[in-house]
Amino acid sequence: MQEVEKLKILQNEREALKNRLKERVKEHEKKAEDHTETVCPECGSRQLVHDYERAELVCQSCGLVIDDDFIDRGPEWRAFDHDQRMKRSRVGAPMTFTIHDKGLSTMIDWRNRDSYGRAISSKNRAQLYRLRKWQRRIRVSNATERNLAFALSELDRMASALGLPRNVRETAAVVYRDAVDKNLIRGRSIEGVAAAALYAACRQCSVPRTLDEIAEVSRVSRKEIGRTYRFISRELGLKLLPTSPIDYVPRFCSGLNLKGEVQSRAVEILRQAGERELTSGRGPTGVAAAAIYISSILGGERRTQREVAEVAGVTEVTIRNRYKELAEKLDIEIIL
Amino acid sequence: MKIKPEDSLKIENIVASAKVTDYLDLPALASQIKDAEYNKKRFPGVVIRMQNPKIAALVFGSGKVVLTGAKSIESLSEGLEILGNLLRGLNIDIPQKLSYKIQNIVTSADLGSGINLNKIAVGFNLDRIEYEPEQFPGLVYRLENPKVVVLLFGSGKLIITGGKEPEDARKAVQKILNDLKNLGLL
Repeated sequence: MQEVEKLKILQNEREALKNRLKERVKEHEKKAEDHTETVCPECGSRQLVHDYERAELVCQSCGLVIDDDFIDRGPEWRAFDHDQRMKRSRVGAPMTFTIHDKGLSTMIDWRNRDSYGRAISSKNRAQLYRLRKWQRRIRVSNATERNLAFALSELDRMASALGLPRNVRETAAVVYRDAVDKNLIRGRSIEGVAAAALYAACRQCSVPRTLDEIAEVSRVSRKEIGRTYRFISRELGLKLLPTSPIDYVPRFCSGLNLKGEVQSRAVEILRQAGERELTSGRGPTGVAAAAIYISSILGGERRTQREVAEVAGVTEVTIRNRYKELAEKLDIEIIL
Repeated sequence: MKIKPEDSLKIENIVASAKVTDYLDLPALASQIKDAEYNKKRFPGVVIRMQNPKIAALVFGSGKVVLTGAKSIESLSEGLEILGNLLRGLNIDIPQKLSYKIQNIVTSADLGSGINLNKIAVGFNLDRIEYEPEQFPGLVYRLENPKVVVLLFGSGKLIITGGKEPEDARKAVQKILNDLKNLGLL
């Protein structure tokens, strides 16, 4: 969010600058010659083309060069890969909630070179080393911040272990920060709240992970995470709707190496089940697993109940019960 | 005509507390009363289970007693009476008139038809409800007045807990029925 806002402000500023420039150019042109930029003075055509290679404004119908040596307002340099982009960039990394100081602190470079690129003398090197050490130590000023730094690194570790994308990590960090601001951490473990924040963030970004999956990469039990999640979602008013089984289908399907066809059929089954109110009071993972099981049989790519159960993190009995329920109520005939 | 939801109310459990005296010698108590359980490592009180009415009394060294398992208010006072007599039989000074305070009443009810919890979760005030099918199959609805917590299940059955009076459950069910009808979910 912050990045977007920053970008918007930057864009507005650039727009204003552009307009001012345009106005000045116009004035200049008006003085020199009374003609508008949008119409060709020779043939009256409006099809004018900017030729950026030659910096000319050309009329497309008669070929008259109306303006030359204009300013290219495009990006400063072209960059083809990350390295080049980093070299050209004159700004730091964007602001992020996943670092305890939002990434706004300064760093002392690890290279022993001054701003001219010269090596630093050995006499000053020790001083620089000490400076670097204190810089590192001073980054975290008090216990609150230290805890935050620990929690955020824990969040990042769990998110990495689960392979979660950047936006989920940011959301999780925001949820955790909100919890800190509201004093909800008191009496709870940092790891527990971090895990709960991650769980909430996954759901907010509609890439739900089950509590079991989160519990596996965290140091807290599933029960504790669930309890903490319920607490913070109530206190922060997260207003998260119950997860839809459909959200789990793509992940489980790819875990089982199933075709897209099977996946879309499972989604269809779940949609019908939702309409017929078969999912009320049922665990979403179990329903999703049963739908995948059915569609894998229908699609001729049968997976055993055990395989599905393992991927979905439910028991075979659950799948059996749910799939019988679904097959019966939705009139799906299954030939084993 | 099916039975009305209000009539399906059934008290499942009442928990009450009472203070009978200031000090009780628990080991002596445990050895003298038969049917008494006392395991200090597991629970710091003596558990006395009565068969008729079926009530368990937890007696603590501070002279306080917790009565649980009662299905009706009458049986509760009956149970307290029995306990009082039991202790008097051991020459413990206990007042003739024992008073108790109800701490919790658990009531069950049935709406008579299945309900779609997903829709309720969307329709109700999200601040008051909690529905996490991954963690618990029921929907938790916290009412402000009467101050009770209701668990709604997909089958249409309800558990009302946290009430202090039998009347609380009836009020809660009526309120929920109203809410559901307003949303057109019943």
